[in-house]
Amino acid sequence: MAIVTPGERLGLNGEFIASHGTVEIGDHIYAAVVGTVTTTPSESDGERLIIQVVPKSKRNMAASIPEVSSIVTGKVLRVNPRMATLSIMVVGETPCADNFQGVIRVQDVRATERDKVQIYNSFRPGDIVRAEVISLGDSRSYYLSTAKNELGVILATSPAGATMIPISWEEMVCPKTKVVENRKCAKPVDA
Amino acid sequence: MKSDVVSPEGFRCDGRRPNELRRFNCDMGTASGGYAGSGADGAAYVEQGNTRCLVLVFGPKEPSMRSAVLHDRATLSVEFNIASFSSGERKTKLRKDKRLLEMASIIKSTFESVILMSSFPRSEITIQIQILQFDGGSLHTAVNATTLALMNAGIPMEDYVVACSAGFGNGHPILDVNYTEEGMDVPVISLGITPRSGKVILLNLESRLHLDEFEKVVTLARDGCTQMHEILDTAVRSSAEALAR
Repeated sequence: MAIVTPGERLGLNGEFIASHGTVEIGDHIYAAVVGTVTTTPSESDGERLIIQVVPKSKRNMAASIPEVSSIVTGKVLRVNPRMATLSIMVVGETPCADNFQGVIRVQDVRATERDKVQIYNSFRPGDIVRAEVISLGDSRSYYLSTAKNELGVILATSPAGATMIPISWEEMVCPKTKVVENRKCAKPVDA
Repeated sequence: MKSDVVSPEGFRCDGRRPNELRRFNCDMGTASGGYAGSGADGAAYVEQGNTRCLVLVFGPKEPSMRSAVLHDRATLSVEFNIASFSSGERKTKLRKDKRLLEMASIIKSTFESVILMSSFPRSEITIQIQILQFDGGSLHTAVNATTLALMNAGIPMEDYVVACSAGFGNGHPILDVNYTEEGMDVPVISLGITPRSGKVILLNLESRLHLDEFEKVVTLARDGCTQMHEILDTAVRSSAEALAR
């Protein structure tokens, strides 16, 4: 397979739709990274092919950065009455290189009865939470939401040190001490 | 006794003809091997004659300074450093050397126009340049090495950036000026172009050059850039093919 280098002309704007690793300048599409060209038919535009350059390096940069509507997994760092702060560790299926910070605001915890939500009855520090990115947020953190059945706490440890077992979508129980704590639990998804 | 920059036989002090480049040698993608401890995402090592340069690229990553974040594109930060053991005389490094800061800012503005910064909003790309051995032409060597390092890191760019220097000594435009010639009061132009579009994106002249000679010198430097582009492109392709195997 032929290797293209940045600045190499790949084709006309009218023939292809520029995707990853390419750049449109004027009427032409040029390669932007070192790699091999692949073309796939487009679903929306039957006449034009999607063209992209697959880089010749091992790491996949785009996948490990959170985007709007991607599902992320993170650990709760701290909670306050307004929000829970998370350290995002996994985006989709890929672990991220950097640790990104995300917040779940009190109004984004669940879809119904938003005004009755109390953060401390939904998340505790140390919980592992699955959440959806709703916006890129401010310069400091991503805004996340758990307002879906399959989003919420997926792993929590009780004060006694045991892994808690979810008994409803709002409660978890410690198998050692039988103490019931409140959490916004995630509905298990079939693998 | 002052010797000529170009001898009557048409040779320069290191035996080159006026329009010859110095020996070029480079090594890409050693980030995974040789410079692994640095944790860099891309690296390149370039030798042009006796000038040796190592460039490490980090990123795109979360910005280290919150104030530097731009919401619609990435920020570029460049660190330029000349090792204290790089030239004949050992120099104790000044903490804030204005010359080094200027070099860094020239390289920053050069690459900002070529890297597709808008594909990485709110992130940072850091380029660390280290001149390991100094024999003139550190700016253009650094630019060429940075191009290779950015490609190695997989950062999208519109085009290559290739740079070359040219000077003017006793009636001859000379290509790729070395340290000895820089010391002979030769005015030196550093030229950087994007070879496929042919645009000049870097032009630097620190002393005076007569306007009548300017065009000849720039044309020679451009010629050098074109040669350099062929050399770099061959190097990039062979390293990419080696990775594919």
